[in-house]
Amino acid sequence: MNQPSPTTDIRRDLVALLPRLRRFALTLAGNGGEADELVREATARAIQKSHHWRGEGRIENWLFSLIRTTWTDELKKRRRNDREAALQPDPDSRRASGPVLSLPEGLASAILLTDIEGFTYTEAAAILGITTELLSTRLCAARLSLVAAGSETSERRA
Amino acid sequence: MNALQPSPLELRLSAYIDGQANDEERHDIEELLVNDPQARSLHDALKRGADIGRHALDDMLKEPVPLDLVRAIKNAPLPRKAVRLPQAPRPNFAFKPSAPQFFGVCLALFLIGGGVGYMVGTHAIVPDPLRISAPSASNRDWLDDIVAHYRLYSRQTNHLTEIPAEQTADILEWLTTNTGVSFRIPDLSASGLTFQGARLFAAGGVPVGQLVYRRTDADGDPDVIAITFTKTRPEGNRSVEEIRNDTGLVTWVSPLATYMIVGPSSAADLDDIAAKVAGLI
Repeated sequence: MNQPSPTTDIRRDLVALLPRLRRFALTLAGNGGEADELVREATARAIQKSHHWRGEGRIENWLFSLIRTTWTDELKKRRRNDREAALQPDPDSRRASGPVLSLPEGLASAILLTDIEGFTYTEAAAILGITTELLSTRLCAARLSLVAAGSETSERRA
Repeated sequence: MNALQPSPLELRLSAYIDGQANDEERHDIEELLVNDPQARSLHDALKRGADIGRHALDDMLKEPVPLDLVRAIKNAPLPRKAVRLPQAPRPNFAFKPSAPQFFGVCLALFLIGGGVGYMVGTHAIVPDPLRISAPSASNRDWLDDIVAHYRLYSRQTNHLTEIPAEQTADILEWLTTNTGVSFRIPDLSASGLTFQGARLFAAGGVPVGQLVYRRTDADGDPDVIAITFTKTRPEGNRSVEEIRNDTGLVTWVSPLATYMIVGPSSAADLDDIAAKVAGLI
């Protein structure tokens, strides 16, 4: 994993990590357009705050946390702007494609961070701002949902 | 099975797959997997689910990244110049010795060196066991203590502060008496911060005062920002902005005290708050 020195231009690291950052953003936002906007906003924040990064630990922890907090801020902003819409989310707002992105909210990020990105339960929970118990539940739920969806698809094909 | 509310057995098996189970739990589950066909089937299902997820998420990496995103990052302006915080005045050393002073000092050093050499040469050198066994200086500095306190208290709801915000006089007297730092309680409502109260604790062996603020967000944003100050200037201290343990720190020094803004690393405006506080406190 990348452990850049504080003097390294963070923009190079961001470009190198971009596919993974975008994938994480996709698990949060659920569609490509919103995920790209989220990554754009979060990477701009990361560049502005790059002098705070001291090169300790994995830079991904910090970047994924930034993406998640940026997404949380965005949701709050939307709720402020249109409280009614937030209470009754538009079903078309999350144009899910593929088995992972069609999972209920919160499950895709949990499975990505633990099964793919290799974070421990504690690290993944910290990134997502939830307890390790909730992370563990979401992870299990994600696996069960994926296998259930896989079975349904097989049955339909049969 | 209800996927969104997994049963305790499903949760245990999922944690077992990730190596999160302790020795005893692992032993129990392995026994269960041998004897219970239903548990075995659940275990296989969970592994299959993980594989499906892994496959789908790996495929997502194959999607091309929008070029405009790459361009936006590459062309993004570099961080703006850090806010200039007040610095402790540097002592002025006007050291310009004249020629007689220079030669006088050289002669004095020569005589002292000769004297010390003579004494060392005429006395046996006895090893000092105390010196040999003296512990090395601790690497832990006062910032670690500040961060530890922040992380401990920032998540508190009922015990965030020691003295509540309403008791302003009590706060001023208690912290001024114990830290030796005169201060005002800055009004940071323009930055969306509401004063919650104050706390006194020790960091790096010195008393430290802390004024605690919370974001006044309609959605209950839990961000807690603390102004920390101490009279002493810990060794090696200087104006710094850094992140430790997901906690952002902005430190500056004045002739009378050392100040610090502590907040979550995700708060982008800590340096702006520090600049405001430096003018108000």
